[in-house]
Amino acid sequence: MAYLRCDVAILGAGVNGTSIAYELSKRGKKVLLIDKIVMGAGASGSCDDMILLQSKKPGILLEMAFKSLELFESLKDELPSDIEFETRGGTILIEDEEHLAIMEDFVASQNKYGLDVEIIDRKRLLQLQPLVAEDIIASTYSARDSQVNPMLLMKAFLLGARQKGMELLSRTRATSVERLNSGWRLLLDSGDSVETEVVVNAAGAWANDITKLIGFEVPITPRKGQVIVTEAIPPLGATNVWSAQYIVSKLKPQDAAKNASGGAAAQAPAERFGLGFAFTGTHNGNYLIGSTRENRGFDKSTDPEAIGLLSAQVERFFPVMSKINFIRTFAGLRPSTPDGYPFLGEIPGAPGFFIAAGHEGDGIALSPITALVMADLITGKKPKFPMETFDPGRFGGKAGL
Amino acid sequence: MDEKKGPGDEKYICRCEEVTEAEIRDAIRAGARSVVEIKRWTRAGMGICQGRSCRRLVERILAEELKLKPEEIEISSFRQPVRPVSIKAMDE
Repeated sequence: MAYLRCDVAILGAGVNGTSIAYELSKRGKKVLLIDKIVMGAGASGSCDDMILLQSKKPGILLEMAFKSLELFESLKDELPSDIEFETRGGTILIEDEEHLAIMEDFVASQNKYGLDVEIIDRKRLLQLQPLVAEDIIASTYSARDSQVNPMLLMKAFLLGARQKGMELLSRTRATSVERLNSGWRLLLDSGDSVETEVVVNAAGAWANDITKLIGFEVPITPRKGQVIVTEAIPPLGATNVWSAQYIVSKLKPQDAAKNASGGAAAQAPAERFGLGFAFTGTHNGNYLIGSTRENRGFDKSTDPEAIGLLSAQVERFFPVMSKINFIRTFAGLRPSTPDGYPFLGEIPGAPGFFIAAGHEGDGIALSPITALVMADLITGKKPKFPMETFDPGRFGGKAGL
Repeated sequence: MDEKKGPGDEKYICRCEEVTEAEIRDAIRAGARSVVEIKRWTRAGMGICQGRSCRRLVERILAEELKLKPEEIEISSFRQPVRPVSIKAMDE
């Protein structure tokens, strides 16, 4: 049983917890990072490696993704260990004329917002992806889509923060929170108690477990994404790949249902699992084949039906993949919010109690910018982005202490 | 990290991902206390055999470094399908 003191206690050692820990340590704060399991035990350790700009709807999230990408470019040199950051570009495969029309509009709106993306014909696509299925008529291409190894990223944030005095407590959780005259006291189930000026809830899909301790409900729910990992193989093509289906289903749900890939028979399960195609090769040569978007509570299991759908889907876009073995499957619980925006800021009625959670599938990509805006808010600086969209109080309620 | 070479530096524990004993000991010294943390830190056990060759060895190194009995080491997770399966076999 120990009595610990710090400036900032961060709950949750995922990609956002570790990035915020790193940024605040850099700014001279004494940080204590606490995880109920271990680093990366949640969604940040069960995801793919893509930093996508193309999938973002023009708006503040795309602006933040731009800034994040810039930050990654400097972090790769600044952090004490390699993060396997790479800019390979990304292609969204287009299956038919109807999707082509939708994607042309989408690309035009992204261009207006300053994103460098274009539609390329099948001939140019074949230069990037020579093994793509014969009936893919076109693709989008953005040279800026990038990737990073989430595990190495968390490790690097952690090592960097540690060099600046951060401490990590694994396998312990806060069981109660008490407001002090100045700051907060956390009681941990290890028996330790922590006195801190500031608390940051970075617990992802589990964030509500923590806000509940101060009587505040945050509408974050787990959304399961199942992913297949193949054996290591030589690169199939130059870019990361996903399908227009995914974007179309975001933009026009009714069109997506009509055109679900695999025909009418496959339609129902594909919808039930929220199937979308995402395909990326890692540094080690393993390919990640994703993914589903399912509301199944906190169940993290993978199941043969979903793995079957993902397998059929990768064969549909890359027939050569039928010869490849997969060695592992996993599922991650993405923290989703009712409006698709994360909660970034102070909890109403709880001065010094912050939240940075609810990024759903954008946690890795937005972790550098999340750390910057959170560190600004915590140290009393005005962030460079308007934060109203991310206000933790936007769905009402206030801490009941 | 210690720059000087010691015994085990060149000894591969995870042959699939080419992870040496020294890298695993470094991970434990950096705070890893379970096979799953070592896996995330070094990739040991993440290759084609999915840890079937190295898991026991990693557990022994953990026990040694943490001065625990092997049975006190946290049981590691297994991911489906455990042995490689072809994509074709799954496509229904």
